Amino acid sequence: MKKTLTFLFALLIVASAWAYVDDALSFAYEAASPYVKKGFSVREDAWGGDLGVKDQQAVQAQLFKGNEYWFCLGTDVKGAVLSVNIYDSKGNLINVETTRAGRLSAVRVEPSRTGTYYAIVTVHKSPAERTGWALVYAYK
Amino acid sequence: MQYILNAVLAACLLVAANIPLHAQKPPETVDFSSFPAQSIDDVVVPVPSEVFIVLDKLGNPNWRLELRDSLGRQSGNRAQVALLLGTVIAEGFVAVEAEDSEMVKDIGRRVLSLSKAINVEKAVLERSKSITDKAEVKDWLAVRKEFDGALSDVKDAMLELGDDDLAQLVSVGGWIRGTEVLTSIIRKNYTTDSAELLHQPALVNFFTKKLDNLSNKRLAEDDLVDRIRKLLAAIAPLIGDGEGDAIPSENVTRIHKMTRDTVAAIAFKGA
Repeated sequence: MKKTLTFLFALLIVASAWAYVDDALSFAYEAASPYVKKGFSVREDAWGGDLGVKDQQAVQAQLFKGNEYWFCLGTDVKGAVLSVNIYDSKGNLINVETTRAGRLSAVRVEPSRTGTYYAIVTVHKSPAERTGWALVYAYK
Repeated sequence: MQYILNAVLAACLLVAANIPLHAQKPPETVDFSSFPAQSIDDVVVPVPSEVFIVLDKLGNPNWRLELRDSLGRQSGNRAQVALLLGTVIAEGFVAVEAEDSEMVKDIGRRVLSLSKAINVEKAVLERSKSITDKAEVKDWLAVRKEFDGALSDVKDAMLELGDDDLAQLVSVGGWIRGTEVLTSIIRKNYTTDSAELLHQPALVNFFTKKLDNLSNKRLAEDDLVDRIRKLLAAIAPLIGDGEGDAIPSENVTRIHKMTRDTVAAIAFKGA
């Protein structure tokens, strides 16, 4: 009985973890939707997870010179303040334009070189202990 | 009173301009060596169209010439089927660039039959139908999105089945076919700008790491997988050490020959 309860509890934790990543992903896609109208293709693959306040997560991206990209970040936590910034492999900031509204943030970049770049997600403040986030990108 | 009105006006202007009240200027530089390893996620593998559209901007490639006559034959080997599925989905992106609706429809059907062979047919059934419908009306942007979605659905379905290894093989198969097409176009009209598109060290490292750590012993020892490990090791020194390094045309030709032969090996293994 105890084993079953432990299993069900573990299942519940996993299910709720997926639920908040899914919610955050919906917000990330919402953040990307204005750019679809401007001819950008939004990738189906996404990054996501959860972070504590002041925590950061870097994700690697292969970007191509000649393309324009929007990285769109969403969170499931109302009142949380998150940001996404893009750096080249040497650690230099390459943001061209940033926007933020509610649970959505986005940054546009136009890489001057083809290669590896890093998107850094930061939770600046949040009413929750852990803040779910999801990041998608669009290219043109 | 005037003070309060000014404050309210300022707040309204900030909201209207989407400027966060808690905005913090990001640091101009960061030191990645200070990032703990677990705080850096793996690279998302780009779909071929991300690089194909750059080629379109650089020139006017003849995409129809890049399409293969045959999509290959599947054997009973799961590694071969997963790799072949990756190459076929990549072919879908080439067919979209070529705006060849009949080819796109053939590829959609082939994606479905290959998915069936590795038990993920259900995941791509809707995609396959959607690919056909959207190719019929020549909505190329939508077809491109469906191929991206098919790739993602197949990988998700494999992960659900605990087949993470096979999911990686689909990705690497797609990347190899994409690289074959990329190098084919670059070498026909070489410029340093177009060759720079091959500078993809994070992807080569990512695939190498994944293939070196396959948990399924049978897949890990598969001769096609071993061939691809060798291919990645051979490509790594040819794609430039640093961002902006020129990649000579000889390197482009070598990468093209290696990827072309590997795609042929995947397509006709055991046939």
